[in-house]
Amino acid sequence: MTGAAASAGAGASAATRDSAGSGDSAGSGAAGEAARLLAGITGRVGQVLASVTGVRDATLGLAAAAQAAGRAPGPADLEPLRPLVAGVLAAHQGFAAGAGVVLAPGVVAGAARCLEWWWVTPAGEVSKLAVDLDPGSAEFYDYTSTAWYREPERTGSWSVTGPYVDYICTRQYTFTVSVPLHLGGGFAGVAGADILAEEVERLALPALTRLPGAAALVSGNGRVIASNTTRALPGTVLCPGRSGPALWHSPPLPWTLVADPRSPGG
Amino acid sequence: MPPRALSTARTRTLFAPLDAGGRADAVTRRLTQAIRLGLLADGERLPAEASLASQLGVSPVTLREALASLRELGLVETRRGRGGGSFVCAPDDHDQARLERPLRLLSLHELQDIGDHRAAVAGAAARLAAQRAIPGDIAALREHAARLGAAATTTERRRADARLHIEVAAAAQSPRLTAGEMELWSEIGDLIWLPMGADQVAAVAAEHRELIDAIEHAEPGLARELAERHVAAETSRLLEFRLGLAG
Repeated sequence: MTGAAASAGAGASAATRDSAGSGDSAGSGAAGEAARLLAGITGRVGQVLASVTGVRDATLGLAAAAQAAGRAPGPADLEPLRPLVAGVLAAHQGFAAGAGVVLAPGVVAGAARCLEWWWVTPAGEVSKLAVDLDPGSAEFYDYTSTAWYREPERTGSWSVTGPYVDYICTRQYTFTVSVPLHLGGGFAGVAGADILAEEVERLALPALTRLPGAAALVSGNGRVIASNTTRALPGTVLCPGRSGPALWHSPPLPWTLVADPRSPGG
Repeated sequence: MPPRALSTARTRTLFAPLDAGGRADAVTRRLTQAIRLGLLADGERLPAEASLASQLGVSPVTLREALASLRELGLVETRRGRGGGSFVCAPDDHDQARLERPLRLLSLHELQDIGDHRAAVAGAAARLAAQRAIPGDIAALREHAARLGAAATTTERRRADARLHIEVAAAAQSPRLTAGEMELWSEIGDLIWLPMGADQVAAVAAEHRELIDAIEHAEPGLARELAERHVAAETSRLLEFRLGLAG
């Protein structure tokens, strides 16, 4: 969950939602089946989003309990999150690689920044992410500058950031879904989960290869997520003028299936 | 700082068994990276030698050799007696003398080789970033460039500089090039700013600006050339400084 860039927020997806009706008529036969398969993927992302919302609500409950006791929430108040997040990671095993909560500076008593994030190690164990949150340190990790933090802060709604190179947590090509957390009417942080881009590609590829022509699943900012052609490989950005029309939209995610995709050099 | 158990995450990433034939050098490198990246904090006590050796999958003799190198580098100190053990000494960027010590251990050829490696990684990352970056990536690069300009201390400059180069590799959409930049910066990031004073910030900032412009304007060839030239200039400064320490 690095991502200083490449976010496609809920705000950006509103237009996609509005035009989703036309996407449903993308076609019958192979194209229709591909659309159904791709809808399954966005549904899968939606399930992770639902789990993240659950983590957010639990965090609000813990914070409210601390406040009811007459104090600002402290790190100890958030300890019950660990088993909850471990459960989320188990429920989305092999798809979500990390999840947790980060709080806005000053929300947690005794800590300028607070990151309660867990990830699944290569050995399959759930471990807490250790990062340096001391602003004076050379290795300071300022999560407030990431897109997955800023987008929910800006829009007040959920967002899907990526794909992007997450060099802090998963160290892989990753998406992060995040939802804002509001305390006392103010923005107080986000809850989120990391989804490995390779898993999304693995799910998308069978659908894409069923299509009669070249096509790519593209994120809201024009980045290829998965494709059935080497002319537009994952991670590249499509050339708008040289690529074909949108075949299908995937509400509520701001993802689009683009025909005859072309990236620079492709 | 009281000793504490190493978290599983760190144990898995830092202390995963090294390949067969793993030697003291590899152990030294891994622990150096852990300390430079802040995964092992200043004053933290390392696990007991026997336990650490078995976690790393090396013999106690190999581990002791690695610890001796780390002591030489000033990254670990060993205290005897009750409450003793090996403790992490996280480098203080303001301590010039402490930084000169690891630099003296590097030969000119090694420094040149590290510079060549950096140029290869940074050049390839810049070229791909120019092909693949979107406006959000450019905004992040400009933000880190601005942080370098506004930095008041060497620590802040080094942090912003490292972050900028890592972000270029991330903008290239390459986890491997990103990991490469992270490894290189953790290895010699402290040294890059050693020969540079506040008066050089403007020159470095100008090079960064040109590089980001080339990435933004989708000029892969130019971006690569600028990144390679930027790294080469830093390498020469470091080589001159190292020569000055000779004798």
